[in-house]
Amino acid sequence: MKHFNVLTLFVLVMTAAAIGPAGTVCAREVTVDLASARVDITTGFTGATLVLHGVKKEPGDLAIVVRGPERRVVVRRKEQVLGMWMNRSSVEFLDVPSYYDYALSVPEPRLAEPVVLADNEIGLNSLDFQPTNESDPEEVRSFKEALIWNQISAGLYPLEPGNVVYLTDNFFRATFDMPSNVPTGEYTISTYLFQSGNVKAIDRTTLRVAQTGFSADLYDFAHNRSLVYGLMAVFLAIASGWAANTFLRRD
Amino acid sequence: MQVYLPIAEMTVDAEAILLLGTIVGVLSGLFGVGGGFMTTPFLIFMGLPPAVAVGTQANQLVASSVSGVLGHWRRGNVDFKMGAVMLAGSIVGSFIGVLIFRLLQHLGQIDLAIQILYVVLLGTIGTLMLIESVITLLKKDNREARGARQHAWMRALPYKMRFPRSRLYISALLPGGIGFVGGLLVSIMGIGGGFLLVPAMIYILGMPILLVAGTSLFQIIFTTAFAAVLHAVLNHTVDLVLAMLLIAGGVIGAQVGVRLARKVKGAVARVILAVLVLIVSLELAGELLIKPTDLYSTTVR
Repeated sequence: MKHFNVLTLFVLVMTAAAIGPAGTVCAREVTVDLASARVDITTGFTGATLVLHGVKKEPGDLAIVVRGPERRVVVRRKEQVLGMWMNRSSVEFLDVPSYYDYALSVPEPRLAEPVVLADNEIGLNSLDFQPTNESDPEEVRSFKEALIWNQISAGLYPLEPGNVVYLTDNFFRATFDMPSNVPTGEYTISTYLFQSGNVKAIDRTTLRVAQTGFSADLYDFAHNRSLVYGLMAVFLAIASGWAANTFLRRD
Repeated sequence: MQVYLPIAEMTVDAEAILLLGTIVGVLSGLFGVGGGFMTTPFLIFMGLPPAVAVGTQANQLVASSVSGVLGHWRRGNVDFKMGAVMLAGSIVGSFIGVLIFRLLQHLGQIDLAIQILYVVLLGTIGTLMLIESVITLLKKDNREARGARQHAWMRALPYKMRFPRSRLYISALLPGGIGFVGGLLVSIMGIGGGFLLVPAMIYILGMPILLVAGTSLFQIIFTTAFAAVLHAVLNHTVDLVLAMLLIAGGVIGAQVGVRLARKVKGAVARVILAVLVLIVSLELAGELLIKPTDLYSTTVR
């Protein structure tokens, strides 16, 4: 927990520094804390629930956004060729959040204008990932929609935003459910305090999603010493094949 | 019980994988095939990335072919020299196959390639096997004939070698070529290729039927082992947890299959296998030809 406090402090300082003296925004107006600053993926991992508590010192509405590490994603579309459905056209997007979820204290329209939401990347409509190659915008949009829909079906994007629940006037809680196929890496959690449709304060914190224990060891082994890993996998297979034949034989 | 697969980076139902391994094990015990042709499509159907399905399957086949070959070896039914020549071809084949796999994966056509190969190969073999086994059943003739005579062009090929165990004097290019095709199949489709090698060894090489199963299994051990190591090194797609679940199921299933095999007539077993092979190929043909509900697919780079 000590580590986490230092991190929060660091984030607060960074936020304050980034906004600078010209801004009226003060980061201390909203602060959040995670029940745990990391999600451990073990062999029995079936998903995780992220619990987040926070305090705000001023009135206003809240939006909390959880973003996973960004990935390059290729989206392909099948077309019929010689009677067969095969991948034909494709669009590659940079900076696609591998995970995205958000929670709001009031419905989207009451929070702020779509432009403001888009600037802060709140909501699926405001997600802005760029294609690597110049192509027809109409075409790009249909690929982007397909990508978002695909992520929703995989449980990595939300169908609709969650709720920020007020425990008292200023003390709030939000929970996010992560599926078992949650991508690993560094996540950012941004909490926005809105006052009359404008961002009044932002708090940012990070979350680490990583395999631990046996899973992590095996993953590292497979990626860092792949030849030894491959040989070991084959050896284990030979040994089990031999054992099966030797000990279970009946003739 | 839910188990997280560290390489596939997803959670699967351990019982489902064990069950799949067991069913495939029963088949391999009953019919003497590796059963990869069923495992790979089912793993992909369960949502595993095709690359992980193929890479892991190669590793699982090592176990099933080791277990299978030992019995044949004990009875002296392995032509090691023939197996070694086929192996030389299959090593080249599986190396080229892994490179083709990577290329197709990059182009986004790996799923299509796997589907077409399955439909064409399984469809052809399944149909031929069905016709052959039904004819055998109708004729009530259980004598297994020795393979066909070789064509003239096959006899004209250079690098002739003697294979004392099979009592053959043929060009090394023939078993080498068959091995090469087997190697390609292992790398691209994640199958041992036994269902293709066995008829090729009977009809093209003219090997004695008694030696065919043991020799093809002997060769498949090394081909699948080589392919598994290549997939592990080049693509990082061998999931040990998944492989061990499949192997555990396969071991149990194979024992059941071997016991069943004593009760089922050869030709009847081949009809069942042919029907299974045809079902899988028709299912994949359907996916290829019927308009998919979701036209879009995504791949993380």
